[in-house]
Amino acid sequence: MSVQTVLAPQAEKPVRPSFVRRYLPYLLIAPSVIMLLSLIAYPLLFALRSSLYFWNLQIAPQPLTFVGLANYVQALNAFDFRDALVNTLVLSVTGTAIEFAFGLAIALLLLKALPGMNVVRALLILPTTIAPIVVGFLFRYLYDPGGGLITWLLRVFGAPVPPMGLLGSPTTALAAVLFADVWQWTPFFAIVLYASLLSVPDEIIEAARLDRASPLTMLIRIKLPLIRRTAVIIAMLRFMQLFNTFDTVLVLTRGGPGTSTRTLGYSLYEQGLINFNIGLVSAMTWITVLIVNIIVALYVSFAFRNEEW
Amino acid sequence: MSVDTTGLSRRSLLKGVSGAALVGSSFGPLLAPTRARAQSSKLVRVLAVEDPFFFSMKAMIPDFEKETGVKVELESLSYDALQARLVSAFVAKTSDADVIAVDQMWLGQYLDNGWIISLNDFIAKDKDIDLADFIPEVLYSSNTWRGQIATLPVAAYAQGVMYRKDILEQFGIATPPTQTSEAWTWDAYLNALKSLDGKQFGGKPLFPTVVCGSQPSPIVHMFTQISASHGANWFKAFPTSPWNFEPQLTGPAWMKSVDIYRELYKLSPPEAINYVWFDAGTRFAKGDIGMFYWWTPYFYLIKNSGYMTGKKSDIMGKYAAAAMPKAAGVEQTISLGGWSLGVPSSSANQEAGYAFIKWATSKATQKKMALWPDLNYQFSDFARVSLYKDEEVKAIYPYLDVQYAMMKQGNGKITRPPVPGYTALESVLGLTLNQLLTGAADPKVALETTNGLFTSILKGNLMIPYQKESFGDTLSEAKALISKLGKS
Repeated sequence: MSVQTVLAPQAEKPVRPSFVRRYLPYLLIAPSVIMLLSLIAYPLLFALRSSLYFWNLQIAPQPLTFVGLANYVQALNAFDFRDALVNTLVLSVTGTAIEFAFGLAIALLLLKALPGMNVVRALLILPTTIAPIVVGFLFRYLYDPGGGLITWLLRVFGAPVPPMGLLGSPTTALAAVLFADVWQWTPFFAIVLYASLLSVPDEIIEAARLDRASPLTMLIRIKLPLIRRTAVIIAMLRFMQLFNTFDTVLVLTRGGPGTSTRTLGYSLYEQGLINFNIGLVSAMTWITVLIVNIIVALYVSFAFRNEEW
Repeated sequence: MSVDTTGLSRRSLLKGVSGAALVGSSFGPLLAPTRARAQSSKLVRVLAVEDPFFFSMKAMIPDFEKETGVKVELESLSYDALQARLVSAFVAKTSDADVIAVDQMWLGQYLDNGWIISLNDFIAKDKDIDLADFIPEVLYSSNTWRGQIATLPVAAYAQGVMYRKDILEQFGIATPPTQTSEAWTWDAYLNALKSLDGKQFGGKPLFPTVVCGSQPSPIVHMFTQISASHGANWFKAFPTSPWNFEPQLTGPAWMKSVDIYRELYKLSPPEAINYVWFDAGTRFAKGDIGMFYWWTPYFYLIKNSGYMTGKKSDIMGKYAAAAMPKAAGVEQTISLGGWSLGVPSSSANQEAGYAFIKWATSKATQKKMALWPDLNYQFSDFARVSLYKDEEVKAIYPYLDVQYAMMKQGNGKITRPPVPGYTALESVLGLTLNQLLTGAADPKVALETTNGLFTSILKGNLMIPYQKESFGDTLSEAKALISKLGKS
């Protein structure tokens, strides 16, 4: 009788990855992180520091004295701050809502296999490719009280047009600015929502149709919930863009008449590049950053609740 | 053995494209055309603005290059873009140009911050600059600060009235005088305009006048001519020494001026609430305005139907120019403006920069600019006395006598004080005036609020109390400086 000794297999010695292999992922993302930090974090920190000093380039080329929170107090007490904040919120909230609603309607229309839809899809993106400054000049002519196309159309349909023109009346100027923005950016919503709607499975739609669900029910109960993530994200992005509206206001109205179209973005431009009050504009920048972040944080916590990511 | 060269995997393609992009981004900037640096005196970089002088000056550049052998790199920007670019370059201490266009409102700030050089030394050593030929009121208003001449004027503007001869004749209105007159007051101006209210001309509705309502700069430029005429001062003491920047906007001169400007707006097209500088001139050139006042370049800009198009307007030959109205019993003050050329302290080519400025502001060059026929003769914004008396130039520009008479009563330091922080004050005043035109505010309350805002801005900018040394910046001081430098 022989006894065979069975030896347990020897465990393999762990091979330590090389230094390069271990740190390669960090090295590869390092340039992006450095660029992000330098383009975003550094300017914000510089602005934070500047906001604590009296620094007006019309008075002296360098910061003169530490003033603590005085610039913030001055910014919040500025003659136009309240109006600019209200106008900015109205533009951002209303603009986002209108552009979303119209964009969704256009996206639903694009889903239908109607003749010419390919051409429509191609033309739809054109307004978003135009620079906002150019759109501003275009609408300045369209709103011209002497013979602008929009003014003429409104008069033809019997709509009341103020004698000083849509841009000259405090009651219509903000709506005129908003309309120019809606014209330019609704196609953006349309294209993105259309792409998102294409990903809704046909079987679900077919099943709903077989269950005799109405188109409205299908939209509310099936399509919108399924495209919710995309919709929430583009609405948030567009809100943040609208919050910084400046170039269209600059060309169309320069914040007037009075303060009826003044936005926080325009006030920042005026303080920074016209008045060169670096300390004050830095404080205004941080106030704007805080306001936007609070609003977006509330929006995200509400919109993304119950989400599994 | 055959080698398969047809297969190209996605990974290989991505690797190749990424590699090419990396190489391109590393070496691309080295291959891109670099901005010419004026390291030698054979190139001078000029940064200007597209006011009328720019076009005729640009046409004369080949003459300068031929005379001096120095190449000129000329660039123009809009007003806001020019200011932003200049200040950015100054703060970053980069050399962006050897000659820059400087608005009178920027002069004090640029000189105090050391961003531009004083030209006193260059002028003192220059025997043929002919400083005495410049209108002293222009040099005082636009080019001197704290005893230094920091720029020289390439285009000088005053303000004056333009009116339709045919319209006034049809309605029996006396033509305004070409010289300042005690009979030609703001009340007389308003009465003449009111007599045109509701009238028609050529079968079309007529507006008596047109104003600029756009905030902040256009409305302030136009309004401050009225306030200066009435003897209104922005501050308790400026430019006389010691400087005291307590604002004075609640005085009766300001109230009266606001009342007049509101009346003028009621007699204007309603859309004038949004009119910037050129809109007012274009509207007058369209033919449905009876009379208006504005910067003197418009005496000839309205000959054209569009800005610098050369295409004649419908009113060419049908209008004339006249003196500004004055306030009864108050010595007339005319708003002066315009553009000047200066040398940045960061320029490594200051001698060439000064040579260009001397050439551009010389009598010979300015006359050639005036005689340049393209665009329908658009340059007459002379700062030199001799050009207002030149018969050859007067034959083309028939309103030079009016322009000169207005220039001699000019004081840019009273009408729009070029103090540090001016733009913030202009923003507030422009907004207030715009709101007053739309009826959104009560004038007395609005001016008191604006006065309070001025105080708050000036205190925030360390101007109240003023902590730096004051300077007795008067016309007589400027004349003494001109005389001293001219004799050196």
